[in-house]
Amino acid sequence: MSEERKSVSISGSGKLGGGEYARVSISGSGRIDGDLVAEELRISGSGKVSGRTEAGQIAVSGSAGFGDAVVAEEMRVSGSTRVAGSVEAKELTCSGSFRAEGDVSAEYLKSSGGMRVTGDVESDIFKASGGFEIDGLLSADKVEIHLGGRCSVREIGGEKIHVLRPSSLGGAFLLGLAKILGGGGPAELRATQIEGDEIHLENTIADIVRGKKVGIGPGCKIGTVEYADSLDVDDDASVGKELKV
Amino acid sequence: MDEELLISKKDVLEKMGISYGQLYRWKRKGLIPEAWFVRRSTFTGQETFFPQDKILERIARIKEMKDEHPLDDLAQMITTRVNAHLRVAMTKLQRAGWLDDALLRACCTDKAAAEGVSVWQAFVLGVLSRLRRAARDEEIDLVRRTLEREQGKGLLDRVSENGVRIYLLRKCVSGGGISAQISAAALAEEGAVFDPEIEVVETVDLSPILHRIQLELDPDERTARDSGRTTGGNDDGRKGPEDEEVAR
Repeated sequence: MSEERKSVSISGSGKLGGGEYARVSISGSGRIDGDLVAEELRISGSGKVSGRTEAGQIAVSGSAGFGDAVVAEEMRVSGSTRVAGSVEAKELTCSGSFRAEGDVSAEYLKSSGGMRVTGDVESDIFKASGGFEIDGLLSADKVEIHLGGRCSVREIGGEKIHVLRPSSLGGAFLLGLAKILGGGGPAELRATQIEGDEIHLENTIADIVRGKKVGIGPGCKIGTVEYADSLDVDDDASVGKELKV
Repeated sequence: MDEELLISKKDVLEKMGISYGQLYRWKRKGLIPEAWFVRRSTFTGQETFFPQDKILERIARIKEMKDEHPLDDLAQMITTRVNAHLRVAMTKLQRAGWLDDALLRACCTDKAAAEGVSVWQAFVLGVLSRLRRAARDEEIDLVRRTLEREQGKGLLDRVSENGVRIYLLRKCVSGGGISAQISAAALAEEGAVFDPEIEVVETVDLSPILHRIQLELDPDERTARDSGRTTGGNDDGRKGPEDEEVAR
């Protein structure tokens, strides 16, 4: 590894073979064939990596496509990004549209805009303020969702789970933004199961909610709530069955 | 194959006095393998179950160790990958009845005798000691080489997640007044089937041996944990049997 890594920049239109680089920057349109290892990858305009990407920092504005898994310390994405594989990043920030065909794991994940994940999402902290669709399990110590469009996830599990509807944030602006970005639909969350220690939900439709301290706020339709310590149900919410366990 | 006894998530939390947050965090950190989360439909809807013995033992171990070690380290200790860097003291091996001079000489260097052996070496010793009675020297060596072939390929991870066994086999071939016996070793998951002429000399289930090392032998011998750790600590998900045959 003592070999000096090169830096490459593509401006205009260009193609680059995979390999190890210090810094790769694409402005305009660029394509990297094969696996890429880089300290830094910057794409503004349109960029594509056909193989696996491993980078310290990834910054995308515009459109980016990754043909395989992405591993990064920090990944910042605005515009449209599609990963045909899993994503592993310490810090993942996406605004705009983000799509991953696989699992996404991070320590800190913030999504504003539209996020679509076909696998599980894992993060110590998960913050979303747009719409999202997660096919698997969303697991985080802290889940904070400011509903800004249609959100759906199979399951949520964590410690603190807060789902807030737009009004509680004055988020009409965000809702509008999410609609433009393709989130669309009413600002609500749908899930089959939500489990956590401290849960507060608004505008949420779920089959089962289980927790220690549970708050079911306005606009919720919950099949069954199982709680250990306390349960508050708003007048403007419906709960099929309440069970103290 | 008999069904393992399952326990519901709710009962696990209650019994072990842990919270949802902890359970999900430990799962994320790779402390509890994905494969142990068994989803079943019940009359109340979807429920998650766990293999009872495994999960209770694992959580007890995590609770006992979590105060002294950061979670990320713990993941690596518990999920075997780092265990490769732990040392197992000779005295403990002796107590387990695995110590055998001949075996020791075959597997370890002299230096190991003073410093203790790695988890991998202890594991190999444990497996070979099970074969000592039934197997010939050459066969023991054959099994050792079969295990070693898989050493760097995540065998320990596979063992802890799946029921991997090692089979020691013999087959007689005769014709023209001459007969020969062939020995073979096979590493396969539980329930491997061999042709009817093969004699299974010995079958060793590998996971109890590994568990014994992880649970009984290492706790206070965590001395020589060096760097070289991989991040993540997850299983690498590889499966599949590996065979090796030799004819004599």
